[in-house]
Amino acid sequence: MKNVTLGQYIPLDSFFHRLDPRSKICAMMALLIAVFIPTGWWGYLIIGTIVIFCVLVSKLQLDFIFKAMKPMLTMLLFLGIINILVIKTGDLWLSFGPINIYSDAVIQTLYIIVRLMMMIMITTLLTATTKPMDMTLGIEDLLLPLEKLKVPTHDIAMMISLALRFIPTLIEEADRILKAQASRGVDLENGSLKEKISAVLSLIVPMFVSCFQRADDLADAMEARGYVVGAQRVRYKTLKFKFGDYVVIIVANILLGLMIYIAVRMSK
Amino acid sequence: MSIRFEKVDYEYSPNTPFAFQALKEIDLELSLGKITAIIGATGSGKTTMVQHLNALLLPTAGKVTVQDFEIEANKRFTQVKALRQKVGLVFQFAEYQLFEETLIKDVAFGPKNFGVAEHEAEEIAKSCLRTVGIDELDYEKSPLELSGGQKRRVAIAGILAMSPEILVLDEPTAGLDPQGAKQMMDLFKKLNSEKKITILIVTHNMEHVLDYCDEVVVLDHGKVLMQTDINTFFENDEYMEKANINPPSIIRLKNLLKKNGISISKDVVTIDGMVKELTKRLKK
Repeated sequence: MKNVTLGQYIPLDSFFHRLDPRSKICAMMALLIAVFIPTGWWGYLIIGTIVIFCVLVSKLQLDFIFKAMKPMLTMLLFLGIINILVIKTGDLWLSFGPINIYSDAVIQTLYIIVRLMMMIMITTLLTATTKPMDMTLGIEDLLLPLEKLKVPTHDIAMMISLALRFIPTLIEEADRILKAQASRGVDLENGSLKEKISAVLSLIVPMFVSCFQRADDLADAMEARGYVVGAQRVRYKTLKFKFGDYVVIIVANILLGLMIYIAVRMSK
Repeated sequence: MSIRFEKVDYEYSPNTPFAFQALKEIDLELSLGKITAIIGATGSGKTTMVQHLNALLLPTAGKVTVQDFEIEANKRFTQVKALRQKVGLVFQFAEYQLFEETLIKDVAFGPKNFGVAEHEAEEIAKSCLRTVGIDELDYEKSPLELSGGQKRRVAIAGILAMSPEILVLDEPTAGLDPQGAKQMMDLFKKLNSEKKITILIVTHNMEHVLDYCDEVVVLDHGKVLMQTDINTFFENDEYMEKANINPPSIIRLKNLLKKNGISISKDVVTIDGMVKELTKRLKK
């Protein structure tokens, strides 16, 4: 339970950790769009190098990033199998009885794998270097223009920050309940299907009960301290752009422009 | 036959930036049949230590022996289920683990997991609910309808239903009213004396330690600071000072009297005993 890597903040001190969350979010969006522009291998080589360089600068360990990719492995495998079975163009490379593998299928699968891997790297880079609370501040600021359209941006940001705040608490709680039930002989690994279902129930029901309890208590605690939905609030922490932030946004956007240029050139 | 910790280390999330060593070379031997208190400041490793007793946590170094079971670091432990039936562990705020529709079903959940037949498990459940003092009219109620203290008792009944030989309780009285807490401690004492169940209690309540326990283990920053019997512990001010605890009020009174030249025999540990002793002396 303690090994949830996806979206976990890693407290280190690096150039990326010190950046303003807004610039990181903007740069991430630009890079994510860039990854999904069909630029062929040259484009990916450029983005890939830059992304790996960024990971090194952020002082995150590479195996941490790979761990974050693990949950995607089954999905990638599944995609690979479908591609190989469906795509029937290009040269015939291999043939086992009824299954024929064509070059386009392999290349297409590789494209998707590379894209997804880079996508995970980029998002992990953001979540691992940004404190959840800073992230919500950033999101709130970036959503601010929507206020004009009567979108409750502050409420959305509050919801996100509450959700993020309670992830570790809920993981801890689930861990505790699992252990408590394990002490009562629950065995999630072995046992028949019926036993497994009752094992899962023994986790889910107490989790639900305690989630509602917590939500109730939290709402009371917030109101007791004067929180009013929709009221104007001041901020304890204000965000400020520094030199590095401008550099990151500009570099990310230049990269996006470059990718579009390459894609346009290729399609001619 | 005993419970033994040999050079046990435990580290949370090893090899990550969050690594935290909760236990450091724990060496400990506890004899069976007693009530042992495990005390220490918050974060001293009490909960981590007791979770080793039924293999919920496996040591990262060293060896834990519980009767015939040997749990060694870096070795697969295969008799998990048998061990968990022998060692019943009641967690902090155990009331959060209830999930079935009725009390009976919830309490019968444990024995059923260990292969007891449905009907028999319900009989066991009934007798355990009776032991912890739940009214018979409530047996078919949903756990959600009960008060916090009652829920806690049902959760404890759920562990007792597995008829463990060793009962480990992690702060069983936290958050209960004094009356409820006393009833609960009386129950543990009764289980210990009547059914010969070995009891380990993690607690912050020194009055309970004094009134109910035979032995005390003090943990400090993941190490065993001391292990001694209750009388020695409470007779020596320097022990209590070292363990950084506030002595129970009766002990404070005794020490105050001693300072003023009235020494009270060490057998007097209850308020009633103290009153008797003092009136006897005043009559003289």
